[in-house]
Amino acid sequence: MRHILDTLYRSALWLSAACLVAIALLIGLQVAGRLLDAALKLVGLDPVGIIVLSLAEIAGYLLAAASFLALAGTLKAGAHIRVTLVLAALGEKRRRALEMWALGAAAAFCAYMTFSLCRFAYYSWLFHEISPGLIRVPLAIPQAAMAFGMLVLTIALLDELVIVLKGGHPTFRRAEDVLMLGKEG
Amino acid sequence: MGLLELALLLMVLLFAILASGVWIALGLAACALAAMLINTTTPPDQALATAMWTASNSWDLTALPMFIWMGEVLYRTRLAEDMFEGLAPWMQRLPGRLLHVNVVSCTVFAAVSGSSAATCATIGRISLPELLKRRYDERMAIGTLAGSGTLGLLIPPSIIMIVYAAATEQSIARLFIAGVVPGILLALLFMGFIMIWAMLNRRRMPPPDPPTTFVNRLVATRRLAPVILLILGVIGAIYGGLASATEAAVVGLALALALSWWTGTLTKKTFVDALLGATRTSCMIAFILAGAAFLTAAMGFTGIPRALAQWVGALELSQWQLLAALTLFYIVLGCFLDGISMVVLTTSVIMPLVEKAGFDLIWFGVYVVLVVEMAQITPPVGFNLYVLQGMTGRNIFTIGAYALPLFLLMVVAVVMIAAFPGLVLWLPSTMLDAR
Repeated sequence: MRHILDTLYRSALWLSAACLVAIALLIGLQVAGRLLDAALKLVGLDPVGIIVLSLAEIAGYLLAAASFLALAGTLKAGAHIRVTLVLAALGEKRRRALEMWALGAAAAFCAYMTFSLCRFAYYSWLFHEISPGLIRVPLAIPQAAMAFGMLVLTIALLDELVIVLKGGHPTFRRAEDVLMLGKEG
Repeated sequence: MGLLELALLLMVLLFAILASGVWIALGLAACALAAMLINTTTPPDQALATAMWTASNSWDLTALPMFIWMGEVLYRTRLAEDMFEGLAPWMQRLPGRLLHVNVVSCTVFAAVSGSSAATCATIGRISLPELLKRRYDERMAIGTLAGSGTLGLLIPPSIIMIVYAAATEQSIARLFIAGVVPGILLALLFMGFIMIWAMLNRRRMPPPDPPTTFVNRLVATRRLAPVILLILGVIGAIYGGLASATEAAVVGLALALALSWWTGTLTKKTFVDALLGATRTSCMIAFILAGAAFLTAAMGFTGIPRALAQWVGALELSQWQLLAALTLFYIVLGCFLDGISMVVLTTSVIMPLVEKAGFDLIWFGVYVVLVVEMAQITPPVGFNLYVLQGMTGRNIFTIGAYALPLFLLMVVAVVMIAAFPGLVLWLPSTMLDAR
């Protein structure tokens, strides 16, 4: 079970990273195309005119998918920020109780958000909502990716809750105690 | 329920949820859900999904993961060593000597990094041991590093600016360029402070390093070339209107990877670490933005921000009085909240007030970034303090006290940009039309 869950979080995180790489490559291609055209124009040749179709829309969809698919992996690594001032000031026993509340409340709320995002994606699919622009992407695809990412986060929160209920420390506890670079922006 | 009661209830609820250790993005969204359930008949789940989808799928926001990724790559190169070696010989003549390296390297690194804590950590990792080895005053070495690190937010690229621009629909490129002059101004204030301190405390300054010849200094300066190239590539492209912020970020990322490859620090491990680090950090920020977008939508339904704007409008405060009150409010908030939360709470609740009072939204963005910089060094919650605590083992409050003079200089900078808005608005007005 442990192995299956961890594989789930890791795959979602890698999928998210793949979306970011795709964004970088698509934009990079567009910029390179423009530089090439400028260079060709400089030596008096005709521009090739490389254009990545619907780049702005597709990059936006990839970003939405990337942001939500990484949710669980980010939680496990302790990179989602929260106010730990009170938690850190409490004794171990009370801290456990508060940790259970935070995880339980977060899991319940994330379940609600998963439901809401699923319904949103379902209606997009039902009414064939399509992106504007030349390449016609069904909006349900990135929206479903968001809903799936939220579902994985809900599972991860429940997983952590079970760990704490069994008497363990949350996986992100150690990471939260040391610094995370650049997490405040 | 009256609006005032509702506003108070929501505020108490938000702080209770956040204090109890629920993640910030979730706390913001849960508070928005409560507002909608109490005050409106609109189905909240549809508003939630729509707000999150609209906020998350945005071309402008793609600049965020790209700049974060670029910073993660640079953190794993030898850029900081190169900068210390290249800058140190030139600072020996100034009163305060190598203390200036803290300020100048942070300023230069800020021009390729969008984060305050990352700037502080990258530069501090090299300069702090070097300064302490030469027996510079610890209080000054640590304090100036904490303060100068915050320049990462003001000098473009800046993650906080992307967050503000995305949430208020302002141009990222213009906001970036608007931060340049105030950033340099703040760096000069810090350097002036170091000079005055060094002249007053001659006995606490260590002896200078043995002098080097001019040629040696020039040779050392060659090591600054890569970082200067990076800055020209990124900020130059934005200023010249050659690239949007997102495109400039991808160019910067490509250059950073090339630099990393050239200097031999690009391995499979550093590449994967940087990529996954960037994935997580940008996920964390995008999630807060999504939660804040729902809060903004819910606040719009309740009408609280409009009522607040009217109420403050009726007080007929002058802009000065309003700014003084806001600054005080932000300083207190900044002691307990992180910068991103401060910005998204601003944009969800007090934006109508700001517009009504007649502030330019680009100017106000730079102002917000400055007060967020202060928040980075005010205990008990301040990310630069965390970074330096990890590095030096000192208590958060001690480091906060070391950084206090720099905090006061930031207040001076706020007064200056309020008195002379041209400091902020002049440079963007000269930009070639950015797309």
